[in-house]
Amino acid sequence: MKGWIGRILRIDLTSKTFKAESFSEEFAHTWVGGRGFAAKILYDELAPGIDPLGPSNKFIVALGPLSGIPAPNTGKALVAAKSPSTGGYGDGNLGTRVALQLRKAGYDALIVEGKADTPTMLVIEDDQVGFLPADAVWGKGTYDTNDWIYATYGEGVGVLNIGQAGENMVRYAVVRSLEGRAGGRTGMGAVMGSKMLKAIVVKGTKPIPQADPEGMKAVGLRDLREVHRIDKESGWSIQSTNAVLSWCNEVAALPVRNFRKTSHPDAWKVDGERLNAARVATYGCPNCTMHCGIAMHDDEGRVSELDYENVALLGPNLEIFDLGQVASLNYLCDDYGLDTMSTGCVLSFYADAIDHGDTSGDFAFGDASAAKVLMGMIARREGIGDLLANGALAAARTFGRGSEAYAMQIKGLEMAAYNCKYIPGQALALGVSPIGAHHKEAWIITFELKETSRDSYGPEKAQKIIDLQRIRGGLFECVVSCRFPWIENGWGIEHYPHYFKLSTGLDWTLDDFWTVSDRVYALLKLFWLREHPQTDRTSDFPPAVWFDPANADTEGPIAGRHLDYDKYDGLLQHYYDLRGYDRRGIPTRDTLHRLGLSAEAVSAEEFGLLR
Amino acid sequence: MKLTVKVIGSLIETAGFSEKEFDVPAGTTVGGLTALLTIDRTRPVIITRNGHAAADGDEVASGDRVVVSPVYSGG
Repeated sequence: MKGWIGRILRIDLTSKTFKAESFSEEFAHTWVGGRGFAAKILYDELAPGIDPLGPSNKFIVALGPLSGIPAPNTGKALVAAKSPSTGGYGDGNLGTRVALQLRKAGYDALIVEGKADTPTMLVIEDDQVGFLPADAVWGKGTYDTNDWIYATYGEGVGVLNIGQAGENMVRYAVVRSLEGRAGGRTGMGAVMGSKMLKAIVVKGTKPIPQADPEGMKAVGLRDLREVHRIDKESGWSIQSTNAVLSWCNEVAALPVRNFRKTSHPDAWKVDGERLNAARVATYGCPNCTMHCGIAMHDDEGRVSELDYENVALLGPNLEIFDLGQVASLNYLCDDYGLDTMSTGCVLSFYADAIDHGDTSGDFAFGDASAAKVLMGMIARREGIGDLLANGALAAARTFGRGSEAYAMQIKGLEMAAYNCKYIPGQALALGVSPIGAHHKEAWIITFELKETSRDSYGPEKAQKIIDLQRIRGGLFECVVSCRFPWIENGWGIEHYPHYFKLSTGLDWTLDDFWTVSDRVYALLKLFWLREHPQTDRTSDFPPAVWFDPANADTEGPIAGRHLDYDKYDGLLQHYYDLRGYDRRGIPTRDTLHRLGLSAEAVSAEEFGLLR
Repeated sequence: MKLTVKVIGSLIETAGFSEKEFDVPAGTTVGGLTALLTIDRTRPVIITRNGHAAADGDEVASGDRVVVSPVYSGG
């Protein structure tokens, strides 16, 4: 088998044992890798209803047939588990040398099971696995942990680690790697912490099997150079993803004051232009030639890497417009191993709830100093931080008084930084994201404004979301490669089947990838259904506040406008119809059969769940 | 008539400004405005006028805020 190594490393932290397991060519061709592998393994191996923070959950690192090979932007890994944020399938991807080192060590994926009895660090070196004490770094932040690992094992090793937030099982704790990389905002860091797993270190020395290694090298290096050239003219490296902040502010799509407002006159103070001017370093992932990570000094002189999501949600969403302070909040999140996006939403919800008298507390919008203190309390689960560590939805259910309406989350995962108060299609894109309110699956705001109408709830938007899910959440998450060259640099999607052929020898069309993508999305829905047997279509709805006329903007381009509940429901039905899902949003038996999921359908039938 | 033009991201370098007020003749269109200001359109852009998507043939009006941005795709 070319392209895949054909082996998965399974590690049991309870018994301190490990074994390499082979997988079949059929498995590889059915699920490709990354999200496909993780979804299938978790669906098959997890008993329904397990505690995501208990020893029965499994932490997976999954790579794909493009991982680590010399093609554009292949230095990413996918981390996955049952999510402590949503109770469904959770994953995330991050730039890391693990993508290269784990493949060189001889594995396409890693499954970590059980729970260590003391803080542990896994050290994987080719066929050997060490279970080493992590006492030297337990209780430390991710920067110190990473530095200690580099000092001990050298800077070329692949590292995944967690901070205090992961150790204390904050439900939106992330996994960290390299200088500013983070992934798994669905609580993957908390799953590592629940297993007392502080870090994974990987070092490999073997070649990665490829069908045409010389061809791959020639094409890959050529295309890495070309992506670099394009990016220098027009890409993310100029202002990072934060370039989009100004645009969101202009078109009433920026989250301001817990998404209550859609723009702010001071937004320019934290925009991409200001970030570029403050740049002190530029970071990227392995095998990347379009480095999008702009770092600046925060207000305490520390180097903090910023992008749009964390600036928008830790800045304007908290009504903080001092870029140095935003950088400081971002640094603390990174060091504690807190997801910047969820942290921003949780804090904005807390400020909003206090402002509305739905709870009491000493925090207000615009108070960066108090936000820093709260972050530490969340990471350590101290005081009110213990409740906020469970996420905005959990806090709202505790506060009561209708506050759930403005807890900005879907399925338990806090909102990505796009204010969809009057952007119906993007609201749907976040609503039907299988991991909760995250933007990586589909983003259609420019399509809505430019190619159709902001007012439309028509099927063209549902179809566009499916088209993008197939590419973003399907192809890129399964071959495990960064979507940015395609997304923002116009690097043609047709390059990817070509890379896939050079790696695997398989002559696949894009339609073949769409079939895999649809299969993975259907399986994620089955996973959700098995964990939430009473689920219905309301789990794909955004927060009630976006439908509330009283929350409409009073000025600007969408003054007086808000989402229409019945029309959104109709748009959602378009999506279900196009997908072949029932009225609950669950794939029908026919759809499952068509996607080759008959066996998975049988297991779902055991619970009496299909219609 | 006076209006404000803002350009975003990578377009700033070629335009030579990020936000500026201009005096243009009545009847100027969106497309005419971007040509007049030599804004790079070799790659796709999205143009908004007062927060709403605008077409090249739309006439601008006094007091307008015209924003020219690369077409972002949400990271």
